[in-house]
Amino acid sequence: MKPMAPLIDDPPRAAAVSQPDLRLPERPEDELIMNLERDQFVSETSRPVPRAALSSRTIAALWALRVFVVVVSLMVVYTFIDQLH
Amino acid sequence: MAAPDASVAAGLGGPPRLTGEDAARSLDRSRVQDARRQHRRWQLLWLLVGPGILAMLGENDGPSMIAYASDGAQYGLGFFVPFIPLLFAMAYVCQEMCMRVGAVTHRGYGELVLQRFGTVWGWFGAGDLTLTNLVTLVAEFVSIRVGLAYFHLGAAVAVVLGLALVVFTLSGGRYWRWERIVLGMALFNGLFLLAAILVKPDVAAVARSFDFSPFPGGSFNTLLLLLASTIGATVTPWMIFFQQSASADKGMTPRDIKHGRYDTATGAVLAAIFGIGALVAGAALLTHNGSGIQGFAGAGFPEALRHVAGGAAGAAFALGLIEAGAVAILTICASTAYAAGECIGVSHSFNSSPRNAVLFYAANISVALVAAGVILIPGAPLLSIALNANVLATVLLPVSLVLMVMLANDKGLMGPWVNKRSTNVIGISVITFVGLCGAAYGIDSFLRTVHIIGS
Repeated sequence: MKPMAPLIDDPPRAAAVSQPDLRLPERPEDELIMNLERDQFVSETSRPVPRAALSSRTIAALWALRVFVVVVSLMVVYTFIDQLH
Repeated sequence: MAAPDASVAAGLGGPPRLTGEDAARSLDRSRVQDARRQHRRWQLLWLLVGPGILAMLGENDGPSMIAYASDGAQYGLGFFVPFIPLLFAMAYVCQEMCMRVGAVTHRGYGELVLQRFGTVWGWFGAGDLTLTNLVTLVAEFVSIRVGLAYFHLGAAVAVVLGLALVVFTLSGGRYWRWERIVLGMALFNGLFLLAAILVKPDVAAVARSFDFSPFPGGSFNTLLLLLASTIGATVTPWMIFFQQSASADKGMTPRDIKHGRYDTATGAVLAAIFGIGALVAGAALLTHNGSGIQGFAGAGFPEALRHVAGGAAGAAFALGLIEAGAVAILTICASTAYAAGECIGVSHSFNSSPRNAVLFYAANISVALVAAGVILIPGAPLLSIALNANVLATVLLPVSLVLMVMLANDKGLMGPWVNKRSTNVIGISVITFVGLCGAAYGIDSFLRTVHIIGS
């Protein structure tokens, strides 16, 4: 079987029927695109991530912590205002 | 910078839409990739450091340095000298998680909490952040004002200087430019080390104090206040928001995590050294005349230092306070702006132009404006504001840290970069410790204030 000659060595010849160029045209921003990971683009990071499924115990624990933190914060603020007077 | 939406996706599987923000970030990334390809290690490190050092040195802010100096003035050398590096080791664990989540997900903390855990938790986090940031920003302007007062300059100069810095650093429309300016300023945090050297401390006594002794005595409530404010001086909600968002804005990727760790560790080490410098300088006030922090009306540490250690020590401390306040204003305003943009869902990047990220730039400036307005009120209790800003941050911190640990353990987001078991053990220990200290001060102070227990 005759091996295929490398394409680069092909002599230029006129095609009987013109073939469409399937390569994408080079754009100046293509080089910029290559420097970023796909999920780094604004178009990708603008898409929200799916909501996590938290168990009822986790949600209860988070609420307990939140209420505790708010109560202690109010105590700190009250003390601070009282000290000002 | 290219105009937004300069190119349009060519269809399914085609190149992504390229915005001006992408183009700016891509230029920064091309330099990182060149350095990596050519094995230029130091250049790679130089290109990738930033968010970690800024978070850590940004937290060595005015209130923090006043808190460290207060520890020194009240208790001298001893417990707090080794306590500061311990706290920064804790801060490293928290901030490394932020960097890693930012590098892997390319999203900020507020955005991820809001989308992953729901709107309620996202807005709670943003609310906590806004409250603590506003109080802390007031304290930062106070810090600049105290520093300038040493040079006989008034509050108006502090306001103009702070606001001018915010506007100047925002003017470039590039994350890289903003980061490098603030990094350059942050290195002057070393002035506190200079102040410590100028008070001529007993080096042997400083070295001996690393055995955590003597343990501070005195009023239990004052000790709790100093513990809570010292913890609030090293780990705060804004640092969590800032480092994750800045890592994403810088364009860090999972390949950069190793350098992100170097960056965070360098920041922690520098911050601990400079923090100990402030404490050692403050301790000179104890050894010379035994004054407590209550004696320094108006948080006049620089003036007090001048009396006991000379004009150079006072000037170094005063300049340090100006630097600490200025850097913190820039980083805290940035964290507020990141959170606002992320929670509302609009453009939130220094790589976006002001026209394309109106809310981000407006939030950056307006939060500074509000805080600046407060310090112009005559007769404000400066030291009390500075110390209580840190305490409030300590009290509100556990919720932010718990959500951070949950994000760093989320396999759906993090894939192979989830927390190791050891990181979780340390992280949960840090949350418990911070929560207990904050709660102990809050509850004890409140019960004393309402006279349920004796003062």
